[in-house]
Amino acid sequence: MKIVVAYKWTSDPEEATVGADGVVNWSRARPGISTYDPVAIEVARGLAAATSAELIGVTVGAKGVGTPLAAKAALSRGLDRAVIVEDDSLKGAGQAELAAVVAAVVRRIGDVDLVITGDSSVDVAAKMVPTVLAGELGWPAVAEVTDVTGQPGALRVGRAVPGGAQVLEISGPAVLATSADATTPHVPGMKDLLAAGKKPVEHVDLAALDVPASSAVMTITGRARPARKERKHQLLDTSDPAEAAAELVKALREVGAL
Amino acid sequence: MDFELTDEQELVRSTVREFAEAELAPVAGEIDRDHRFPEEVLPKMAGMNLMGMPYPEEYGGAGTDYVSYMIALEEVSRGCATTGVIMTAHTTLATFPIYKFGSQAQKDKYLSDMASGRRLGAFALTEPAAGTDAAAGTCTAIRKDNSYVLNGSKIFISNAPFAEIYIVFAKTDPDAQGTRGMSAFIVERDTPGFSVGEAEHKLGIRGSSTPPLYFTNCQVPADALLGQEGQGFKIAMQTLDGGRIGIGAQALGIAQAALDAAVAYAKERVQFGKPIASLQAIQWMIADMATSIDAARLLVYRAASNIDHGFPYSTEGAMAKLFASETATRVADRAIQIHGGYGYTESYPVERHYRDAKITELYEGTSEVQRMVIARAALR
Amino acid sequence: MRCDWVHGYWVHWQWVRCEKGFGMSVNAWIVVGDQPAIGNLITVARSLGGDGTIAAVVAGPRAVAETVAASGVDRVVWCGTPDGSPAEASAPAVAEAVAADPPRVVLGGRNPGDRVLLGAAAAALHAAVLTGARSVTVGADTVTVVNAVYGDISDETVEISGPVALLLDGGSVPAASGAGVPIEEVTATPYGVKVLETIPSEFEEVDLNAAQRVIGVGRGLKAKEDLSLIEALAAALKAEIACSRPVAEGLNWMGKDRYIGSSGARISPQLYLAVGISGQLQHMVGVTGAETIVAINSDPNAAVFAQTDYGLVGDLYELVAEITSVLK
Repeated sequence: MKIVVAYKWTSDPEEATVGADGVVNWSRARPGISTYDPVAIEVARGLAAATSAELIGVTVGAKGVGTPLAAKAALSRGLDRAVIVEDDSLKGAGQAELAAVVAAVVRRIGDVDLVITGDSSVDVAAKMVPTVLAGELGWPAVAEVTDVTGQPGALRVGRAVPGGAQVLEISGPAVLATSADATTPHVPGMKDLLAAGKKPVEHVDLAALDVPASSAVMTITGRARPARKERKHQLLDTSDPAEAAAELVKALREVGAL
Repeated sequence: MDFELTDEQELVRSTVREFAEAELAPVAGEIDRDHRFPEEVLPKMAGMNLMGMPYPEEYGGAGTDYVSYMIALEEVSRGCATTGVIMTAHTTLATFPIYKFGSQAQKDKYLSDMASGRRLGAFALTEPAAGTDAAAGTCTAIRKDNSYVLNGSKIFISNAPFAEIYIVFAKTDPDAQGTRGMSAFIVERDTPGFSVGEAEHKLGIRGSSTPPLYFTNCQVPADALLGQEGQGFKIAMQTLDGGRIGIGAQALGIAQAALDAAVAYAKERVQFGKPIASLQAIQWMIADMATSIDAARLLVYRAASNIDHGFPYSTEGAMAKLFASETATRVADRAIQIHGGYGYTESYPVERHYRDAKITELYEGTSEVQRMVIARAALR
Repeated sequence: MRCDWVHGYWVHWQWVRCEKGFGMSVNAWIVVGDQPAIGNLITVARSLGGDGTIAAVVAGPRAVAETVAASGVDRVVWCGTPDGSPAEASAPAVAEAVAADPPRVVLGGRNPGDRVLLGAAAAALHAAVLTGARSVTVGADTVTVVNAVYGDISDETVEISGPVALLLDGGSVPAASGAGVPIEEVTATPYGVKVLETIPSEFEEVDLNAAQRVIGVGRGLKAKEDLSLIEALAAALKAEIACSRPVAEGLNWMGKDRYIGSSGARISPQLYLAVGISGQLQHMVGVTGAETIVAINSDPNAAVFAQTDYGLVGDLYELVAEITSVLK
C-alpha cells in the first residue's frame, strides 16, 4: 500500500508586506512546511503504520520547494521518501495547475492507494487543491477529515460536516483533506532530523510528467493593495473600567453601532 | 572558513524553536513566579531526544554534533532559561562524566537512561566553602571494605530534588595536597544517608531548584567510583570545560529573548507620535545589542565546533562563556531600558531575562575564573 | 456586465457597458451539494448577464434539487445521489453534466461538499480556479476577476481565457421565484463512498453573516466556563458569539462555523467586538468589512489595536462585566 501526502513548502502572508502597488514582498518571510500539513503527515503516518504502507511526500512548486533543507524538514516529520517537482514555471501557479501537477506525480508514482493533504495552505488558504486533485485523478475527495482507519478498499473516514460529524466508508482510492485539528502533530525529535537526510528524495522534471493542458490561460493584468476601511484608532482610558465602559457604549450609540 | 550551519543544524534550530515557543515560553513566566520546577516538560524534551543530544544513539543519545546541541540549548533557553539550565546540568554536567570516565558497566547501567532522558542527573561539586576554589572541598569518601562512606554537604545543586543520579565529588584522600585527593562518585537518589535539603530562593532561573545535598555516613558500593581515585578534580574540570560552552549557549538564548522583546516593543511603542524604534537613541542600543549577541554566538559555536573537530576547547569555551554571559546581562539591561518603566514590571518578560541573565556570569565558573583560564592561556 | 462583491456578499451591482459582444451567451453552472444555500451564487451568476442559461447541478437529496429548481435558475440537473451516499460520491455525475455543456463560469460555495463538487467540475473542464473573487466581469473572450490573494493583502486582476471555477460564499437559501423549472435526472456511477453514521454536533449551528453585532473571543479568555461572561454581554448587545480559529479548532469551545478568518467566516456586521484577540492577519481579514471594530486586550501592543475604532487596554473580565452592566 502506498500513501501520498501532498504538502506545500511556502511562506506565511503574516510575514509578507505589500506595497502601495499591491505587489507582495516575501523577502522577510521564512518559508517552511505549510502550517496544517504536519497534521496531514501525522494522520497519514498513523495509517501507514497501521497498514504497513509506504508513506511518500509529494510537493510541487517553484525553485526552493525542493532544497535539501526543505526536503529534510518534511521527511523529518515521518515520511519514508519524497518526490519533488521544482520548476520556476510553477511560480505563482494557480490551484488548478498545482493540483494537475500533483495528480501527474501521483500517477507517475503508481499504485497509490490514498492521497492525504492538509486543511488549507497557509498562503492561499482556499482548500481547493485537494478537490481539484481528486477530480484530476478521478477519485472521490473528502474534506475536513478528522481520522482515518481501516484498510485500502475499506477505509473508515471520520469527518466534520456543517452541524456535526460523519463516519464514511470509502471503497477505492481517495483524496482526503484533513481538518486543521484532526490531530496534534508531534514535533520531530533530533534523531528524526538526522535520519531525514538519509531518506530518498526523487526530483522529477516537470517536462517529464504527463500534465493535461489547461483550457484556461490566466494573466495577471493588475495588482492593487485593497483599500481598508479607515479606523478611528481611539484608545479609551481604562483606569476606571466602569467609566471606560460607559464611554464606549456612548460612542457606539453615537456611531449607530448599537 | 565557513559560517554556514548545516541543514541539520538549521532544522535543529527551527524545530527546537517551534517546541520552545509552543511549550516553554508560555509557561516561563509562571514557573519563575511560582518557583516551580517544570517537571512536565522533561518527558516532552526526552521525546524529542533533547536530553542527551551529543551522545551516540547506542547510549540513548541523539548522536548530534556539539554545535547542534548548543543551538538546541540556545533555543530552549530563549523560551525558558530555567529549562535551559535543567537541560545542560543534566546533559553535560551529570551525563558527560559517565560517558567520558565511566566503566563499561557504569555506562551500561546509567548512560542510556540518562541520555534518553528517562532519569535525570545532577552534578554536585560546590560546597559552602568551596566554590571557585573547588579543591577546598571538605566532603569525604572513605574506603571501607568494598564500599565508600560519604560525609559532608554540597550546595547549589541544580536539578537535585528531581534527579535520580548524582555525580558527587569527595576527598578519598583528605590529607592530599590541593586537587589531588578528590574522587568522583555516582550516587543514586535512594542511597541511605543521602538527603536533599530545602531549595534556595534565587534572583533568577527560579524554576530550577538548587538545594543543598547532605551525606551522613552514606555508603555507596566501591564500583560507584567514577574513574580512578584521585581523578575527581580532572573529571570536574573537564566536565566544566564543556559545561561552560553550554552556559554560553544558555546566555545566548536569554540575550536573544531580551533583544526580541526589545525590538517588538520598540516597533509598537509610540512616543512623540512615532514608534520609539525610529529614535536614534533606541536604534543605537538595538545595534549594540544585536552586534554583541552575534559575537557571542560566533564564540559559542566556535567552541562547540572545536569539540566536534577534536580540537582543544578549554580556552575557547571560557571565552564563549565569559563573553556570552556578560552580553546577556548587558543586553537584558538595555532591553529594560528600551521598555522604560514598563520593563521594570512583571507585565513584560525583560525583567525576568535580566534576573535570569545574571546567573550565567556566576555558575560553572564566575567571569573571574573564565578570565583566569583565558589569561593563563594568553600568557603561556 | 459587472458586479462588485464586498466582504462575502455581492452587495451592490453596477451595470456597465460590456466590451464588444454585449449580449453574448454566458453559461454559468452552479454546483450544489446537500444544502441549497446558494442565494449568493445565483446573484453572481445573474450579474454575469448575457442570454445564456444559468444551470445548477445538484448532488444531494431530491428536496435540494426541488428548492434549487424553484430559485429562478434556468435549468436543474439532479444526480440522483443514492441513499446513504454523501454528495461527494456524485462528483462524477456533476463533472459530466458540467463538461457536457461547458460554461464560461462554474460557481460553488465553501461547504466542504460543495468544494469537492467544484473541484471535480474544474478538473473536468481543465478550468482555472479562483477563490477570492471580489468582482467578475465577463468580456467577449475573457473573464476578468479581481481576486483577493494571500489573506486579502493584495487584489490581483486576473484575465482568464477559458473556463473559470469560482469558489464563493454560497449565501442563504434562495426564496422560491415563479413556477420553477423541471428537474432533469442524470446518472453516472457514483464513487464508493457510504455514510455509515451521522453524529449531530454538540454545538448549535449559526449564520454569523446574519448577525448585526458579533463578539469575537480569542485566547485571552482563560477557561471555557468564562464564556458565560461573554454570553451575558452578547445577550445585552443582541450579538452573536464568534471566535478565533484556535478557540474553535484547538480548544473546541465552539463549533467550527463560529471561527472568523481567512479560512473561516468572513463577516460585515455593524459592530465587531474583539475580546482577548491578538489581531493576527488571518483572523482580522474576516472582519475588515465590519462597520465598527472594538478591541479589548490586556496587551497594549496587541496588533488588534492597529485595526480598531475603539481600543480598551485592560483586564477583559473586568471590562466585559462593566460594559454588560452599562448596557443593562
